Amino acid sequence: MEQKVICGIEGVGIYGVISILIFFVFFTGAFLWVLSLKKNYLEHMEDLPLDDSEKPAADKNQSA
Amino acid sequence: MNVETFKYDNRIVRAFAIATVIWGIVGMLVGLLAAVQLFYPDANLNFQFITFGRIRPLHTNAVIFAFVGNGMFMGIYYSLQRLCKARLFSDFISWFHFWGWQSIIVAAAATLPLGYTTSKEYAELEWPIKIAIAVVWVAFTVNLIGTILKRREKHMYVAIWFYLATALTVAVLHVTNSMTMPAGWFKSYSMYAGVQDALVQWWYGHNAVAFFLTTPYLGLMYYFLPKAANRPIFSYRLSIIHFWGLIFIYIWAGPHHLLYTALPDWAQSLGMVFSLMLIAPSWGGMLNGLLTLRGAWDKVRQDPVLKFMVVAVTAYGMATLEGPVMAIKTVNSLSHYTDWTIAHAHSGALGWNGFLTFSMLYFLFPRLYKTQLWSTKLANYHFWIGLLGMMFYIIPIYVAGITEGLMWKQFNKDGFLQYPNFLETIVQVVPMFRLRAIGGSLYIIGVFMMAYNLYRTAKAGEFEPDTEVQAPALEKTSSAVPHGKLSWHRMLEGKPIFFTVLAVVAILIGGIVEIIPMYLVKENVPTIASVHPYTPLEVLGRDIYIREGCLGCHSQMIRPFRSETERYGEYSKAGEFVYDHPFLWGSERKGPDLAREGGKYPAAWHYNHMDDPRSTSPGSIMPRYSWLLTQKMEMDSLPWRLSALRRVGVPYPAGYENGPAQKDLRAQAEKIVADLKLGAVNAEPDKDIIALIAYLQRLGTDIKNAPVTTAAK
Repeated sequence: MEQKVICGIEGVGIYGVISILIFFVFFTGAFLWVLSLKKNYLEHMEDLPLDDSEKPAADKNQSA
Repeated sequence: MNVETFKYDNRIVRAFAIATVIWGIVGMLVGLLAAVQLFYPDANLNFQFITFGRIRPLHTNAVIFAFVGNGMFMGIYYSLQRLCKARLFSDFISWFHFWGWQSIIVAAAATLPLGYTTSKEYAELEWPIKIAIAVVWVAFTVNLIGTILKRREKHMYVAIWFYLATALTVAVLHVTNSMTMPAGWFKSYSMYAGVQDALVQWWYGHNAVAFFLTTPYLGLMYYFLPKAANRPIFSYRLSIIHFWGLIFIYIWAGPHHLLYTALPDWAQSLGMVFSLMLIAPSWGGMLNGLLTLRGAWDKVRQDPVLKFMVVAVTAYGMATLEGPVMAIKTVNSLSHYTDWTIAHAHSGALGWNGFLTFSMLYFLFPRLYKTQLWSTKLANYHFWIGLLGMMFYIIPIYVAGITEGLMWKQFNKDGFLQYPNFLETIVQVVPMFRLRAIGGSLYIIGVFMMAYNLYRTAKAGEFEPDTEVQAPALEKTSSAVPHGKLSWHRMLEGKPIFFTVLAVVAILIGGIVEIIPMYLVKENVPTIASVHPYTPLEVLGRDIYIREGCLGCHSQMIRPFRSETERYGEYSKAGEFVYDHPFLWGSERKGPDLAREGGKYPAAWHYNHMDDPRSTSPGSIMPRYSWLLTQKMEMDSLPWRLSALRRVGVPYPAGYENGPAQKDLRAQAEKIVADLKLGAVNAEPDKDIIALIAYLQRLGTDIKNAPVTTAAK
């Protein structure tokens, strides 16, 4: 049945090529993108959750 | 630099936190009641509203949408304000969101035990509640995006990306899967039928796990884990890959819930391949979490918050490895319909969602109340009893699941089924069900300990309704980046709306690729000439089957294995379900498959079996359904039901519901009453049981009359 369905789509052969291209471009792009990120930017981002302007009394020693 | 003073809203965080604890306890206790009924069916006290079929969806909805849902909103509203350096967009929307969500939970808790259900797993709530969910979800999304737009921090931390993907994807999933035709205030029929309904449902069901239980909690992990460990995330780069990889791949994997069913093979293979690919981003995320603690493992020894987090992240890793393995067709042929699935779900629910929620609660209460945790020791006890409870829950259920799978498939040396009676296989695992209930009890005791600890913490401290902070206003253009050197990444996260659109495109690609061919399939499901719409009596019987939650334990989908065709009969074909609104394939077997139940037993057998299953099947764990023998069937709503079914495509003739249908119904009911007399049962024709027997006797009989198909036996 699936053959009937898939063969019923016009020019179905190109779909497989398109999907592999989408994935290849997407993940290569994402990989290159993260590699291109600057160190000071990354450090800034990593510090965001830790950078609290509020300092509750219990904040620092609470977990000890 | 223009420094602004503003306040974080702690009240809303506290409200969601309290709701998390309360609904967590409620949802888990309902789960325990369901678990007990699996080895002691009389635990329903012969009370229909708390019988397994009805409270199983109550349990799943309560722990997913009430416990984890409130936990998610608590964590998001706390972290979002701090990551954006801004108060939430609107206090009014925050409280509308809170009370709206609690009302939906109450509505669910009221309607599910009453039997108002669509039967689609994790989407059981009927249409008025579904609309309310959509409205409240939009309020949450507006609050989320509004807060992001008025932020004072230029960059969007990765946690916020996860929150945004959650808000948008859940909206898309909810709307697509909720397309139903109302047939009265608390009854509706899915727009989709059979195979299409199954595909949409599991596209939804799988992604509800992905985008309700996983992505928001990953965002929370990326905020609370570094916060509790007081050190930055191991690799921010990895977190970006984790995000895009996860949302791009997750959405495709839904069909792995339908392997070896009547779903077309291409969709099954698609689901399997993408499930395997999911290991990469999932494990990237898990390792990112665990490696954040490198060099800080001494803190894990002392801090219960970190202890809970380490187990949560580990459970995430285990569940996301196991899930893809279960999506391999060969493994799935053994694991599907067994308790293995339940064990898998609970390693995620108890370990990942449960423990991460507990860690957030232990983290937040001392901060909200400006004090120390009342008892670190008690929190440590909670950790150990919770972990022990989890083990006692999961391990016996794994054993049960694999035992069931192997026993169902076992042939003897003469080539016959070793265990032809399904009951033998379930009686074998009942001791495991007992152990599971013990494990669940331990886990709940831990939650009570936590509730007490948090209560004492709150009593000892003083609640701070608003935290006053200062931060510089966000400048419109950045002076730090020279003109022309703005990377597209910064543009991307600098424009949350644009980012949102991209994320939606990423998730829609997968959905569209699966759903567009689904419509093509609709034209190509081989129609079987002998498959006819259900008769009016059978429609009422089917609705009773849905109301009682029969599909919680009985599948209606025979897979094409010899072990199944020997046991149940000819395997199920896509064309058999064209009038099934909704599909009722089910996902577990605590009882035998019913796809070919019709004609297997005389009507009187069903009557006696419903009255007391142990009278016909000694040792059965099915509850008694004696109320079906006395309750009158809902004749008044029949016209509504038939015309709604006609509107979704079932070819009842025009005007059939006004007279002819009732006539047909009475004639068929009288015939069943006569059949019952043959078995020495006297019954009245207007009772629920008559309709249910009509439906059960119809199941799977259509193709037996088909000249083109060849029967297996």
